[in-house]
Formats: sequence, structure tokens, C-alpha cells
Amino acid sequence: MKALHFSSPFVFLAILLISLFMVDSAQAEYGDIVINNYSDDAGMRPAVFPHWFHRVRFRCKVCHADLGFKFQAGGNDINMLKIIDGEFCGACHNGEIAWSIENCGMCHSGIPGTPIQVHGSTLQQLVTPNKKATAGDK
Amino acid sequence: MNRTFIKLLISLSASSLLATSALAGIDEGKTTYDTLCGGCHGTGALNAPVLGNAEQWKDRVAQGISVVEQNAIKGLKMMPPKGGNPSLSDEQIIDAVAYMLSALDAPANVVNTAAPVSSAPVQPVVKANTANTFNRLLKGGKEEWNPDPADDGIHDPDHEESYYLQSPKEAFEGLPESRYGNHVDWVEALATSAINPRFDRLDADKKPFVLDLNIVREVKGSMPNVVYPHKQHTEWLDCSNCHPAIFTPKKGANQISMASIIMGQQCGVCHGKVAFPISECRSCHSQKKEVAAK
Ligand code: HEC
Ligand code: HEC
Ligand code: HEC
Ligand code: HEC
Ligand code: HEC
Ligand code: HEC
Ligand code: HEC
Repeated sequence: MKALHFSSPFVFLAILLISLFMVDSAQAEYGDIVINNYSDDAGMRPAVFPHWFHRVRFRCKVCHADLGFKFQAGGNDINMLKIIDGEFCGACHNGEIAWSIENCGMCHSGIPGTPIQVHGSTLQQLVTPNKKATAGDK
Repeated sequence: MNRTFIKLLISLSASSLLATSALAGIDEGKTTYDTLCGGCHGTGALNAPVLGNAEQWKDRVAQGISVVEQNAIKGLKMMPPKGGNPSLSDEQIIDAVAYMLSALDAPANVVNTAAPVSSAPVQPVVKANTANTFNRLLKGGKEEWNPDPADDGIHDPDHEESYYLQSPKEAFEGLPESRYGNHVDWVEALATSAINPRFDRLDADKKPFVLDLNIVREVKGSMPNVVYPHKQHTEWLDCSNCHPAIFTPKKGANQISMASIIMGQQCGVCHGKVAFPISECRSCHSQKKEVAAK
């Protein structure tokens, strides 16, 4: 696991500056996750997971340690079969801890075509410009 | 005068990194303008400010670009919301406004302006949007925090359930504030029991194992040292969330750098995504140090 290095301090600074001002630009709530590995193809709106809403009710540990959600948007290969079997969202959205799976539209509420993302993330804001910067820098 | 201000912003943000995407936005903005806005703004119908007429735009721009954009989105007196086409996205309107403002920089179109401002060797179109972006982000006021789900750009506004979802504004009422991210100070909210998130899915009474151990990471240069507090983290997280996948549990054993944090590694796995964002430098760089005068 090698750490990333930027050969020029300017690039680093540029990234920092951009990140500073970009972070605030996101419209949607910070930390909202759009999960869309399969939804679009299946003709469903992408699923939107609101972190802020859940962290008011549960600590990170419940989902990220006990339920095994990996720290990666779109990285858990979630599908409806797993959910109805009580995995992932289905561990809670089962009519006991939270409303149950029939409420399709509550989760599948994204604008069709929205790609997988963590809304408001530094990375989301940086990747495109940064790729250009480092390419020119090498 | 406003233009000088814009120019200043431009020179500050002269980073060419933004230029390409800015250009694309303006091109799209022109399409929207040509098909809709030009009907009024090309001719001055209904007293609409005319494209390229700096005199007529001067005071409007002075309100701040974000206000102007919001007025174009929400409507203003005879100006219909979104120019009369509600199916356009906010983004498209903002692009159209960027195009309209960029026209103020093209000398051929300028009517009635005082001495032309000396032009930097950058394309005018690029400048205007770069400046807009910069300006808009700087001013992102409190009203724009925590938008309702249906207006937030990722939930579908044409979907009934988007309106059943809770508004973060409403949920965060009374919680301690912070400057960025969710604009909630989550550490404080937890410490003061303003929120009481479960540590166990089912058992509401289960308490976390909180480890009170600070790790100080010395930072070269002027920035204050980083104090990594286990306490605030183990309130929320399990040891296994960080050890060993992200950090080897040994002081100094991990090479950490700001660049990789910004790229979403190490502390950046959570900070800048869900936990407070990177822009809160001082929350991490919190230990003063003696700066040797050189
Ligand atoms: C608790 C939230 C939740 C609810 C409720 C929910 N889903 Fe899903 N669903 C998801 C998530 C998360 C995914 C994975 C999304 C992806 O990667 O595209 C998914 C994926 C899907 C997929 C594509 C993958 C597959 O399994 O074929 C379909 C189709 C789907 N859902 C249909 C439905 C229908 C129909 C309902 C209502 C009966 C429903 N969902 C209710 C969260 C939910
Ligand atoms: C109710 C469950 C739940 C809780 C509580 C929760 N998360 Fe998540 N988290 C998720 C889900 C779901 C995803 C998306 C996974 C996917 O798309 O497959 C996610 C993704 C993430 C990611 C990955 C983002 C990326 O880079 O792609 C991070 C980081 C994260 N969560 C951090 C946290 C932190 C920190 C907390 C506590 C403050 C927390 N989460 C609380 C469910 C939860
Ligand atoms: C039906 C005529 C009409 C159309 C179509 C129209 N506008 Fe306007 N617009 C106006 C008028 C009139 C004003 C002046 C409002 C005032 O200040 O009283 C205005 C003002 C504005 C302003 C200045 C707002 C401010 O804060 O002073 C912007 C920006 C703008 N329009 C953008 C647009 C865009 C973008 C479109 C196309 C999507 C558009 N307009 C389409 C009539 C129109
Ligand atoms: C640890 C338990 C848990 C897990 C796991 C979980 N949720 Fe939830 N979720 C809840 C609870 C509790 C509520 C609140 C229910 C209520 O208010 O009745 C909720 C509410 C919601 C809401 C509605 C928010 C609002 O504004 O009312 C959405 C959307 C949602 N969850 C999506 C998801 C998705 C998508 C997943 C999986 C990726 C998921 N949840 C996983 C517990 C969970
Ligand atoms: C948010 C991530 C995170 C969590 C959660 C976390 N740690 Fe750590 N831990 C760190 C970091 C960062 C270091 C410092 C590593 C370094 O300096 O290279 C560290 C260092 C340590 C060390 C080494 C201390 C020393 O002086 O050498 C121990 C022991 C440790 N952690 C135990 C734990 C235990 C036990 C838990 C759970 C109760 C835990 N950690 C939870 C991030 C975490
Ligand atoms: C696994 C996720 C995760 C990782 C990795 C992580 N943090 Fe955090 N951190 C959090 C969460 C969650 C909080 C609670 C506050 C919040 O959500 O904004 C927090 C809070 C903090 C606080 C407390 C701020 C206060 O107001 O008291 C500091 C300081 C901090 N983190 C520094 C670091 C540093 C430095 C690193 C890397 C060495 C790091 N964190 C890595 C999730 C993480
Ligand atoms: C989430 C915590 C966190 C935040 C927020 C944060 N830093 Fe850092 N920073 C670190 C850590 C950890 C290191 C590595 C310290 C070490 O060498 O062990 C570091 C190192 C640095 C360094 C030393 C050079 C390098 O790349 O390692 C500089 C300069 C720096 N940070 C600047 C900033 C600035 C400016 C901000 C605000 C935009 C900021 N940091 C925000 C955690 C943070």
C-alpha cells in the first residue's frame, strides 16, 4: 500500500485550494450516497442512501462493522434478493426496525441516470480536474 | 467596477484546471439561451436586460452571481422562473446565465461601457465562468445549506416519495452547528446527547467501548501538528473499521500525507465523505507548535 505523492507542491496546493472551495458547492446533503449498479438497467430509479438520516439513529459501527457494509459507494454489490433475505438494507427495513421493502419508492428515489457517488465528497469534486493536473505534471 | 472584481476573482482562480469543464458549461448555456432566453434578452422585451449590455447588467451582477442565478431560477418580476420552461434543470439555467454574463466580457458586444478593462491573455468565455464558479461557491449562503431532498439535485423531483423524505434542515433544528459538511457538529451533538444513535442495531442501551488515546503526528512546516483522538472515533466506530485495513495500530507506523487524504485514503476514507470535510483544517491540525523563525 503505497501512499500517493505529488511531485510538485503547486499541484498539491492547487488541489487543496480547489477542494476548499468545491466542497461547499455540492447541492445535495453531504454524505448522501447514490447506489446505481443495477437500478438503471432494471428500469428502477437509483437508490439514494441518506447517511445523515441514519447516523442520527445508528453509529457507523452498526452498519460498517456489524452489517458488513464496506466503505465504498457501490462497492457492496447490493441487490433485492440479498435485501429480502435480511442482508444490507434488509437488516433493518424489514417492518420491525424500519418500514419494509414494499416502499420501493422511498429508496429508489434518485433521478434516473445518476451515477454512483458520495454526494459532496472531496474526491467527487477533485477527480476530474486532478487527473488532468497530474497527467501534465508527470 | 464589478468587472474589476470579477477579474480579480479570475486571476485568483486562474487555474486552468477548471477551464475545460467551464467551456462546456458555457456552450450548453448558449444553446439554452438561443432557444429560450434570447426571446426577451436578445431584444429587451419586457425590459429584460439585453445580452452584452454592460450598463444594464452592472447593478444586477453587483448583487452577487449567486443571487442573479437564483433570480433566473426562481423568477423576478416579469422574468418567469427558468425563463418559462420548468423542465430545465437548475444547472442548465446556471449555464445559460454563465453564457449571458460571459457575453459581457466580449468587447464587441459591450454597449456603453467605460474604458475597457485591459484583457488578460485568457479566453473571455472561460474567465466569466471561472469567476462565476468561484464567486458562487464563496457566497454559498446559509439558505443553501441542507436543501430539501426534492430540490437537492439527486432525488427525482418528479417522484412522489421524494417529498415524503425528511428535510435535513428540519431534522437538524437545534443541533450544534459547524461550518461545513452537514453543517452539524456531530461530535458535539453526541457529547451533549442532542442525538442518541444506537451502538447496536437492536439493543438501544448498549454502550460503545471508548478508547481515550490521542496520537500526535508531527507535521513539517508551518501547519500545526495533527492530534488524532481515538475517543471521538470510538464513540462512532469499531476498532475493526480502521485496524488493520486502514491503519496499522502502532504509533508512527503509517505514512500519512495530506495529498493521499484528499484523494480519499487514510483519514480521507471518512473525512471529506461522511465525517467532517477536509476544509476544516484546524479540527485535525489542532496542536500548536513552536515555529522556528528562519
Ligand atoms: C431499503 C431500501 C430499498 C427498498 C425499500 C427497495 N429497494 Fe430495490 N434496491 C435497493 C438497493 C440499495 C439496490 C442496489 C442498487 C444498485 O446497485 O443499483 C436495489 C436494487 C434493486 C433492483 C436491481 C437489482 C436487482 O435485485 O435486480 C431492482 C430491480 C429493485 N431494487 C427493485 C425494487 C422494488 C421493485 C422494490 C419494492 C418492492 C424495491 N426495490 C425496494 C434498495 C431498496
Ligand atoms: C444505516 C447504515 C449506515 C450507517 C449508520 C453509516 N453508514 Fe456509511 N455507508 C452505508 C451505506 C449503505 C454505504 C454505501 C455502500 C454501497 O454503496 O454499497 C456507506 C458508505 C460509506 C462510505 C464510503 C464512501 C465512499 O468513499 O465511497 C464511508 C466512508 C462511510 N459510509 C462512512 C460512514 C461513517 C463515518 C459513518 C458514521 C458516522 C457511517 N458511514 C454510518 C451505510 C451506513
Ligand atoms: C419572457 C421574457 C424572458 C425570458 C424568456 C427570459 N427572461 Fe430573464 N429576465 C426577464 C426580465 C423582464 C428580467 C428583468 C427582471 C427585473 O429585474 O425586473 C430578466 C432578468 C434576468 C436576469 C437578471 C436577474 C437579476 O438578478 O437581476 C437573469 C440572470 C435572467 N433574466 C436570465 C434568464 C435566463 C437564463 C433565461 C432563459 C432560461 C431567461 N432569463 C429568459 C425576462 C425574460
Ligand atoms: C441499521 C438499520 C438500517 C439499515 C441497515 C438501513 N436503514 Fe434505512 N432507515 C432505518 C431507520 C430506523 C429508518 C427510519 C424509519 C422511520 O422513520 O420509520 C430508515 C429510513 C430510511 C429512509 C427514509 C429517510 C427519510 O427521509 O424518512 C431511506 C430512504 C432509507 N432508510 C434507505 C436505506 C437504504 C437504501 C439502505 C441500504 C443501503 C438502508 N436504508 C439501510 C434503518 C436502517
Ligand atoms: C478512525 C480510525 C481508528 C479507529 C476506529 C481506531 N483506531 Fe487505533 N489508531 C488509529 C490511528 C490513525 C493510529 C495511529 C497510527 C500511526 O500513528 O501511524 C492508531 C493507533 C492505535 C494504537 C497504537 C498506539 C501506540 O501508541 O502505538 C493502538 C493500540 C490502537 N490504535 C488501538 C485501537 C483500538 C483498541 C481501537 C478500538 C477501541 C482503535 N484503535 C480504533 C485509528 C483508529
Ligand atoms: C473510519 C472513518 C474515519 C477515519 C478513517 C478517520 N476519521 Fe476522524 N472522525 C470520524 C467520525 C465519524 C468523526 C465524528 C465527527 C464527524 O463525523 O464529523 C471523526 C472525528 C474526528 C475528529 C474530532 C473532531 C472534534 O470535533 O472533536 C478529529 C480530530 C478527527 N476525526 C481526525 C482524524 C484524523 C487525523 C484521521 C486520520 C489519522 C481520521 N480522523 C480518520 C471518522 C473517521
Ligand atoms: C482529517 C484530518 C485532517 C484535515 C481535515 C486536514 N489535515 Fe493536513 N494532515 C493530516 C495528517 C494526518 C497529516 C500527516 C501528518 C504526518 O506527517 O504524520 C497531515 C499533513 C499535512 C501537511 C504536511 C504535508 C503533507 O502533505 O503531509 C500539510 C501542509 C497539511 N496537512 C495541510 C492541511 C491543510 C491546509 C488543511 C485544510 C485544507 C488540512 N491539512 C486538513 C490530517 C488532516
